[in-house]
Amino acid sequence: MREILEKALKNNRHKADYLEIRAEKKEVTDIHFRGPKLEKISCSRQRGGNVRALVKGGWGFISFNQFTDLEEKVQEAIRVASLIGQEESKLVPNLPAVEIVQQELDKDFRQISLSEKKNLMEGYNELIMRFNPLIQSSRVTYNDRFSTVYFANSEGSYLEQEKPFLSANFTAIAREGDNVQLASESVASTKGFALIEQISGKAQKAASRAVNLLKAESVKGGEYTVILDQTLGGVFIHEAFGHLSEADFLYEDERMRELMKLGKKFGSPQLNVVDDGSIPGLLGSARYDDEGVRTRKNYLIKEGILSGRLHSRETAAKMGEEPTGNARALNYRFKPIVRMTNTYIEKGNLSFGELLSGIKEGIYARDCYGGMTSFEQFTFSAGEGFMIREGKIAEPVKDVVLSGNLFTTLLNIEGIGNDLQMIESGGGCGKGGQGPLPVSFGSPHLRIRKVVVGGGR
Amino acid sequence: MEMEKILQQATGKVDSAELFRIKSKTIPVNFEVNRLKSIDIAESEGQALRIINQGRIGFASLSGSSLESEEDTETMVEQALATSEFGATAAFDFPEKNEVGPTTNSNLPEKVKIFDPKIVEKSIEEMVKIGEEILVKIKDFDRRLRSDVTIVKDISEIEYSNSRGGSFSYAKTAIAYSLMIQQVEDQDILMIESSQAAAQDKLEVEELVSEAIENFKWGEKVASLESGKMPVIFTPKAVLTLILPLIIGLNGKMVWEKVSPLAEQQNKKLWSEQLSLYSEGLIDFALGSAPFDDEGVEMRRYPLVEEGEIKNFYYDLQTAGLAGVESTGNGLREGISSPPGPGITNLVMKVGTIPFPEMVKDIKEGIIIDQVLGLGQGNIISGAFSNNVQLGFKVENGKIVGRVKDVMIAGNALEELKNIVALGDRSEWVGGRFKFPHLYLKSLSVSTKV
Repeated sequence: MREILEKALKNNRHKADYLEIRAEKKEVTDIHFRGPKLEKISCSRQRGGNVRALVKGGWGFISFNQFTDLEEKVQEAIRVASLIGQEESKLVPNLPAVEIVQQELDKDFRQISLSEKKNLMEGYNELIMRFNPLIQSSRVTYNDRFSTVYFANSEGSYLEQEKPFLSANFTAIAREGDNVQLASESVASTKGFALIEQISGKAQKAASRAVNLLKAESVKGGEYTVILDQTLGGVFIHEAFGHLSEADFLYEDERMRELMKLGKKFGSPQLNVVDDGSIPGLLGSARYDDEGVRTRKNYLIKEGILSGRLHSRETAAKMGEEPTGNARALNYRFKPIVRMTNTYIEKGNLSFGELLSGIKEGIYARDCYGGMTSFEQFTFSAGEGFMIREGKIAEPVKDVVLSGNLFTTLLNIEGIGNDLQMIESGGGCGKGGQGPLPVSFGSPHLRIRKVVVGGGR
Repeated sequence: MEMEKILQQATGKVDSAELFRIKSKTIPVNFEVNRLKSIDIAESEGQALRIINQGRIGFASLSGSSLESEEDTETMVEQALATSEFGATAAFDFPEKNEVGPTTNSNLPEKVKIFDPKIVEKSIEEMVKIGEEILVKIKDFDRRLRSDVTIVKDISEIEYSNSRGGSFSYAKTAIAYSLMIQQVEDQDILMIESSQAAAQDKLEVEELVSEAIENFKWGEKVASLESGKMPVIFTPKAVLTLILPLIIGLNGKMVWEKVSPLAEQQNKKLWSEQLSLYSEGLIDFALGSAPFDDEGVEMRRYPLVEEGEIKNFYYDLQTAGLAGVESTGNGLREGISSPPGPGITNLVMKVGTIPFPEMVKDIKEGIIIDQVLGLGQGNIISGAFSNNVQLGFKVENGKIVGRVKDVMIAGNALEELKNIVALGDRSEWVGGRFKFPHLYLKSLSVSTKV
């Protein structure tokens, strides 16, 4: 592969300021149960590649899945880049790297038979379906994929990285008359099949949560002091704050840059936020990002002060900051853009009991159905909720949707737990049409005052 | 490799087989922060094999490099066979020769127009020009605004063939313009989105820009609002907030497994008499249109909801077989590696009689909702929705007085649709596949930060 890629680059090197080629091969297995039935079982094989060219500050990009005429593709990318380029190309320097990164798996799922995978998931599905007569249906999905990504650029880098991914998702659907409720649990990993062999507890938890939601009242809309569990805390920091740290949103927008000026106070001195793609074996991890830059630990907020952001080589050069290794592409159809990897809030010093104490009427929000942001505004739905009354967890509530303004909400974090947990689930992150990209996120329990909760009544 | 040859490879070993192929080319031209930023070209080819083997369904797909290589297609056949060992029991067979075809490439009159050679011929340079024209218009309006623009065209060729003689092929085009304008002041961000899409090269720059500018003018000032129940107008763009639970609930698969609260609710007066929704796969130049769905069943027009009553659910072949009904021509594939399932082609809501300005005049205190955050988030099957209003306007004494901030709406769509005051007299295409009028609700719960 190295020869093919380098040959295509070699003859065109002088026509562009920078060139890179990525190629990818991938094998995928999907198994879906829906209710008592196996709905889908499929295998797919995918191969493809892309060329990205930088000419006078303009990017040309072409993706394809026929490898004939690779040189022609390189020339086409250069041609469209030339249509855009009108200034000096800027990329932060990066030492060329040559490395082959292989992944050790704890039981290689490529060696496990289709029937073993199917039987395992069937067992989990039966646990959900038989949990309670109120369980109307289920969605149990299994996905494994093993990709190898090849990368070569005009500066002499050549990388091969293996990227295994495996996920199991359990959704239980409970119904009582018109009342339909669902609850999901999910696990995902880069480490191999062993992880999903013993997760009956997750399947049962999805089922019991769905049944419990049938009895829950809708939360009354209003402003509350809220405690977020580690999942919601992680989703919050990823969705609401993390995306604003992605420099591609900022670097050409003066006003946004002003809003996200380093050194600005974003939270209390107890608040520390990190993105780190170099932690071994997490969903967002890789030795190198998709521009061949080494990943590393980056503080985004340190002691409440905005202290860093996430970069590609171009955004780092344009903002005069260091590269962070955050240029990632979903697959060969896409160009690398600035993305998070593993994003979390560092642990504080309060126990869960201490967070609860003193809340007269509040909400304990757990797990997540999904979240979205639009710059300063965010909204996300809790998978499970409880009222907090007089410092104690009280009755369950449903339809808990939290929303607000990022800047005020960060300042309103008034307690940070001592129980950080990284969440690895099958969902992933979406941006610019590229999703779901594997990421992990995490947080300790968080106590936030004045959160707007939209409810069903 | 020839389709027939792969089918032969497969059919030697199984009851019946079907091969679906798609070849596509997509070119987006992106402008960011008022200037040309990137031009992408995406070419892809893929094929999917679905088989019925001893009564069970098997499925495998292949995208990439070696469409020509015998070994790859052999592996695909092997994988399809392997999956069929555990696959779902087939409740259908593939359509026969007399049920599918002829192809749109024949000399017979076209059933539906979905191909415009002007889109194929449109050069990248021309697309760049359209984007520049939009930027100039926004700049003329206000130099300080940030604009992002995308002009994208898409050409795809679809080929289908099965072992029972059914086969078809067609080519399809699409073009879309989208515009986002943004103003940041202190910690306030005003973001306005506007877009158009169709299968024909007929989009209007002027329309796109004037919609965005009108919204911008309405939104420049922030108006205060108190929580409570109030009248709400959804613009065509925002109507999906209320219709998404219906789209999910009317899906034949959800109905068959009785997860949908709409199961067994046919022909009962559930919603306002004004509400009628049609599934229409044969509208010329709409993005969801095609002569056949992705498994060879003819697309058609039929009511999903008429005068507030459910008339039909929508089905693919397998779900229809399980439910003992006919496929409605809604068997769609979400990608080459997904087998067909019930999907929406084009969804059209019948218009009402009241012009949008009249609706506004009717409101003493309420809001207009144009863009929401968190669409489809939460327990939508149940009808519950709860969304952050990304772009909404306050109405006072029949006049739009400004934009609302930090506001959430919540309710249950299955309930709210009982209380439609009026539908707009004109409808607009949203995303090239949905055609909705303005929708005016008597009362909706709105919460806001104090």
